[in-house]
Amino acid sequence: MDNYIQALKADFEELLGQFQRTDSVRYENFLPIWRNLDFPSLFYGKIVPNEMRIFCRLALATAYQYFLPPYTFQIRVGGLYLLYGLYHTQLASPKEKIRIALKDWEEVMKFQQDAANAQHYDVVYILRKLLSEKSFYFAAMPKQLNYQSKKKPLRNEVCEEFRERPQRVKDLISMDTLEEVMNVQQHYEKMKAAISATPGQLDSAINFIRKDLVSQLRSTMMEYHKLEEQQSRDTVPKSGDGDNAAGEGSSEQQECSQRAQLLASIKSKSYGHVLEASKSRRHRQVEMDTSGSGTDPSQLVLFRKKKRPLSLKARTKKNLIDKVGTLKQEATEFTGPGMMEENSKENSKKKRRFRW
Amino acid sequence: MAAAASGGGAGDGDRADAQENVPTYEWEDKNTKAFHVAAFGRLWREKLDPALYCYQDTEEDAEHAQLARELELSEETMEELRVICSPDSLTGGDVRTDVVPHDSSLKTVRLRKRKQDYKDSLRRDFPAKQDVFASELENLAIGRRPMDPELLVPEGEIILTVNVLYPVIFEAFKFCRHHMTLQVMGSQKLSELRDAICCVSDLQVYGEFSSTPDMAPEFISKDLYKSAFFFFEGVFYDDMRYPECTAISKSTIEWAKSHDFPTYRSAKMEETTFNDLVVKIGYPYLYCHQGDCEHVVIITDIRLAHRDDCLDKNLYPLLIYKHRMLTRKCSVCNLYISRWLTTDDHLAPMDPCLFCDMCFRTLHYDKEGNKLGHFLAYPYVDPGAFN
Repeated sequence: MDNYIQALKADFEELLGQFQRTDSVRYENFLPIWRNLDFPSLFYGKIVPNEMRIFCRLALATAYQYFLPPYTFQIRVGGLYLLYGLYHTQLASPKEKIRIALKDWEEVMKFQQDAANAQHYDVVYILRKLLSEKSFYFAAMPKQLNYQSKKKPLRNEVCEEFRERPQRVKDLISMDTLEEVMNVQQHYEKMKAAISATPGQLDSAINFIRKDLVSQLRSTMMEYHKLEEQQSRDTVPKSGDGDNAAGEGSSEQQECSQRAQLLASIKSKSYGHVLEASKSRRHRQVEMDTSGSGTDPSQLVLFRKKKRPLSLKARTKKNLIDKVGTLKQEATEFTGPGMMEENSKENSKKKRRFRW
Repeated sequence: MAAAASGGGAGDGDRADAQENVPTYEWEDKNTKAFHVAAFGRLWREKLDPALYCYQDTEEDAEHAQLARELELSEETMEELRVICSPDSLTGGDVRTDVVPHDSSLKTVRLRKRKQDYKDSLRRDFPAKQDVFASELENLAIGRRPMDPELLVPEGEIILTVNVLYPVIFEAFKFCRHHMTLQVMGSQKLSELRDAICCVSDLQVYGEFSSTPDMAPEFISKDLYKSAFFFFEGVFYDDMRYPECTAISKSTIEWAKSHDFPTYRSAKMEETTFNDLVVKIGYPYLYCHQGDCEHVVIITDIRLAHRDDCLDKNLYPLLIYKHRMLTRKCSVCNLYISRWLTTDDHLAPMDPCLFCDMCFRTLHYDKEGNKLGHFLAYPYVDPGAFN
């Protein structure tokens, strides 16, 4: 069933992308898109009841992500409508519920407040309707967890186009990354000290680093944060005109160029890799990354193509069979027809299997 | 980790406590950090309006009126909203829902179409037994309400979903983890879950009975060896309900002490409710019985009870999923499930060999019940016998 996740995500993003292009949060604008894409057909087909149940659960859990930050207010509204639509069109009976996690409840309440303040009554109405129809499970986690440690985790990628813009700065410079930068800085200084002519002292010829990089970064970040808060405070009172919700980004950020977006996405990806490395190796990885200034495409390729060790089967084949390849060839000649048959059998077997 | 932390710790550390008991991921999509179950339930109930988790239907008009008051809306706007946002406009109308449209723009639908075409191309034309069985089991309990209102699950009760995996014994279990899923209420004792877990090793009969086959099925291991324990977050919960029970976790605890491991504590299973536990969701724990039959136990979900859940207290712990296993049939009739295993048997085609009760007796004994030839016979309990 998990194989449907990617497809579901693509479909939801298509729907929400179209909804984003309408530049509105009205339910009337959502409905035609929903119908045009024929979303109710998502649940059609010959499916046994318990499979349908699992599929509905999966669809709701996947859609639930769009209802939460870091997405923009508009996408979250779209996410809410999407949940509403999925909940009412699902063919499981009794209806599968939307799981809402305790940690997300505050966000949901804030969202409702934002919507009410900005007079988006349809949003509030639909959320309240879902609540009063008891379509939520008040659960611990948004999905059931059963510790599938072997399974390769699906990277939970946030769709960059839907992301709330001010959030990016926050994501980029968190406490963790600051610490990383500080570590790298210290390391760098030490290296420089080590190669300088007078050991233990920085050579003035190569002393080009900003000493207070971290604190400066921090203060810039704080300043930006304050500015942002001020702006949002400014926009709240005039939100009476409808489409200027409190949660939405201000106009200034829209000047963000395409290139900046691209950079941000690449950076967030590469930082993601860094954070994943084990603690003991972390330091070295960061070093590598910063030396390539983070945007070098070849560097990225390096990261992605982390090669796994060959499987035992492959190794055996490489070591033994390739070396005595001639022998093997002789063998095939010898038992030619039989081997051929086996091969064709394997092929036909492969064809029968369903490939997701 | 203070496992048996008293549930109602009102007063000082309450706020800090609150933050701690909001479940968050320890590893993304794998498991959460440890939290106290009862405190988690309390947090939800504090945050929610009781109307949101009660079992009664909220009246639409009352709800509308309240919403109108809160948002200071006129009646016309409310009516307009109701019409615009009606869920009726979402559905596709009267279409056959069992046909996958073939020209859809949705990726999911295209994927399903492909899958379904593939399924149709297979020779068999019936749904898998596993699925049919699972749906039947699910439908048994959904929305059940007790006749006696006393037995109604209280509103705001916590429901835990527990996966109990079968111990890995068979080769076939190496790649998929077969399990059963049970739902328990937070107020239930751990021992109630223990009684609800059925495992073949509880039903084994030890000994060789070739000369007295009628004696055999009387002593099953469950009655002989009653000790068992659960292991959650560094605490062993031993079953000590009967005088014959021994704390079988003791040796493990002592071994851990002498080998520089973090110290483990032990507690009694029958005195602990699920509300008292401090657990991680999605983290593998252990249930051990019969000395060495070890089941991995995973709590996959904790949530408040919902109107559509089974609301009959008596039905909990409730089995909601069980893997259907293949049964091994008798090697003579190939019809009935085997009940006997023989070794060193001149009459059998292989060694060891499985027989159903009927075939075993007719083949191995004469009319007076005398043993024919030399063989050793052991009672056999098939893992699939519970299907």
